Amino acid sequence: MTETSLEPQENSIVRWRFTLVLAVFALLLAVVLGRLVILHTVDQPFLFEQGEKRTVREEVQPASRGMITDRFGTPLAVSTPVVTLWLNPQQVNIQQLPAIAKDLDIPAHTLVKSVERAASQGRSFIYLKRQVEPDVAEKVLARRVAGVYGDEDFRRFYPAAEITAHTVGIVNIDGKGQEGLELAFDDYLRGHDGERKVVKDLYGNVIKQLEVNGVAENGPDMALTIDLRLQYLAYRELKAAVQQHRAKSGSAVIVDAHTGEVLALVSQPSYNPNNRATLKPEDMRNRAIADLIEPGSTMKPFTVAAALNSGRFFPSTQIDTSPGYVRVKNKTIRDHRDYGVLDITGIITKSSNVGVTYLAHKLGAEVIWDFFTKAGIGQPGVLGFPGEAVGVLPYPEQLDSLRLATASFGYGLAVSPLQLAQSYTAFAGGCRQSVRLIMRDEDKPACEPVMSAKVSRQILDMLETVTSDKGTGSRARVEGYRVGGKTGTAHKVGRGGYEDSAYTAVFAGIAPISDPDLVLVVVIDEPQGQEYYGGEVAAPVFSRIMGQALRLRQVAPDIPSKNTLQMAGGGA
Amino acid sequence: MNALQGTLWGFVVVSALVQIAQVQHHRDLLQVWQAADKQRYLLLQEHTRLVLEKSTLLANGRVDQLARKQLNMKDPEQVQVLSE
Repeated sequence: MTETSLEPQENSIVRWRFTLVLAVFALLLAVVLGRLVILHTVDQPFLFEQGEKRTVREEVQPASRGMITDRFGTPLAVSTPVVTLWLNPQQVNIQQLPAIAKDLDIPAHTLVKSVERAASQGRSFIYLKRQVEPDVAEKVLARRVAGVYGDEDFRRFYPAAEITAHTVGIVNIDGKGQEGLELAFDDYLRGHDGERKVVKDLYGNVIKQLEVNGVAENGPDMALTIDLRLQYLAYRELKAAVQQHRAKSGSAVIVDAHTGEVLALVSQPSYNPNNRATLKPEDMRNRAIADLIEPGSTMKPFTVAAALNSGRFFPSTQIDTSPGYVRVKNKTIRDHRDYGVLDITGIITKSSNVGVTYLAHKLGAEVIWDFFTKAGIGQPGVLGFPGEAVGVLPYPEQLDSLRLATASFGYGLAVSPLQLAQSYTAFAGGCRQSVRLIMRDEDKPACEPVMSAKVSRQILDMLETVTSDKGTGSRARVEGYRVGGKTGTAHKVGRGGYEDSAYTAVFAGIAPISDPDLVLVVVIDEPQGQEYYGGEVAAPVFSRIMGQALRLRQVAPDIPSKNTLQMAGGGA
Repeated sequence: MNALQGTLWGFVVVSALVQIAQVQHHRDLLQVWQAADKQRYLLLQEHTRLVLEKSTLLANGRVDQLARKQLNMKDPEQVQVLSE
């Protein structure tokens, strides 16, 4: 009886429980469904955007910057792949940072601090370390720390370092040209970065490429006319001379006399472009093209050439320079001593200011200006280099008798050492070559006729006398080669006019005289000590550089030597 | 009408399958390209490393020092010309 009375009660409890569980499940299902509807409708735009931000990336594929080489393909600037590591402070686990800091050799507490600060500011990007060596970066990325990424990047290296620093220039950490050729040809060398939109997973692996907006095109290589061997020689000798004479600065330029190609272009002081931490602005000045100098007596050959080219004077023409000075507009122009009667060659040999003043006055301002202009004096920049100096040459109407006289021996006008070297190419055949620094496939550009070939030969012979025992530049001689040139010692201009104790020592020359191959200009700025004349300071540097350069280029000596070796089987 | 509908549905199904296959093919090619690009990157890295290494070893200053110190070479003091 009791058992039968309990059965309906048990059934009702079971049904009730079943209904309750079903209702709870139905409610849960309804909640889930409701949440799904909300996520797919109300929150969908926000969630979609956030999802895209975490997976879809606009990726830039950096283009490799073109290599800069010397004329024989020796690399002067090379871009090598590196990795720039960055992290997302919102995603990264702080506990994993010390291990990464150790890999990168940076203090762990500094890294943790900067990541925490960036995270608190809501930032989603900070650099971990830029331009890391690939093997180190691989070690870091192999830890697969969420929120740590690596991007391809390039770092610029300069194998010749300070030897070509001024010419090649430097790029900043973003690979943009800052100085020298790197700046002048930045657009050419840079190439074009590629751009694409990709889907990446948490560890930065590309799992889908959505679109490509541009393919990376590497920058083309660029070959310079520089011969790194000559560049090194010139740099070594110039540096030694600047140190020896405790000079403020110096520069040297070697130009191919037949083509105008710049074979060496060096300046002192220099800098190491591979170490940005030690860069000093004053060391980065390319003095061979950015500094203007008063060329002093190195201009006298042009005055004499103008005289010979006029047909009114001949090498044998006699000029009386007595008493060793001349008064022009209440100013006295002096020679070192009274040279008496000199022929035209003697004026160059002795570097007579009175002699060239006489010639300039006879020719007149118009003729001198026209000749100097043809020779490239006072011209704007010749290379298109950033910061290249513009020469100064007063117009004929500005050249009164005094300024004409001073211009005839290189005062009152200004040239860069490179412009002076370019002008001296006119003595190798009468035609001035346009200097150039970039190798081109095109034919040799036309040169500017300045004087007749006969006059240029006469000037070469006169320049050779300067390096004789009687001349002012005997220390420029090179054993085995006939060498010609002209010394120059110019007072520097200060606040109160020309300074008595600050000089620029210059030697401009050409060799070998029998068949000119190289033009070399050496400038030493403010040499200290007993020696300061161009013939004492710059001429020995010229001799050392020119001698080694000619031998290196295998130019046959044009002075027969007593020590000539006879080749076996050759004539007696 | 039923035949036309069936054909259209058939086209829809086939084009859907083709699209799936193409997407998969694209991803496969992307993987191949990624691998090739990685290889290119590694080769470029190796190439520039070797270029820099060669430049360092052949640096004029280094060769100059080695020639003078280790090989006892010096600049010629007299002009000596081989003539026939």
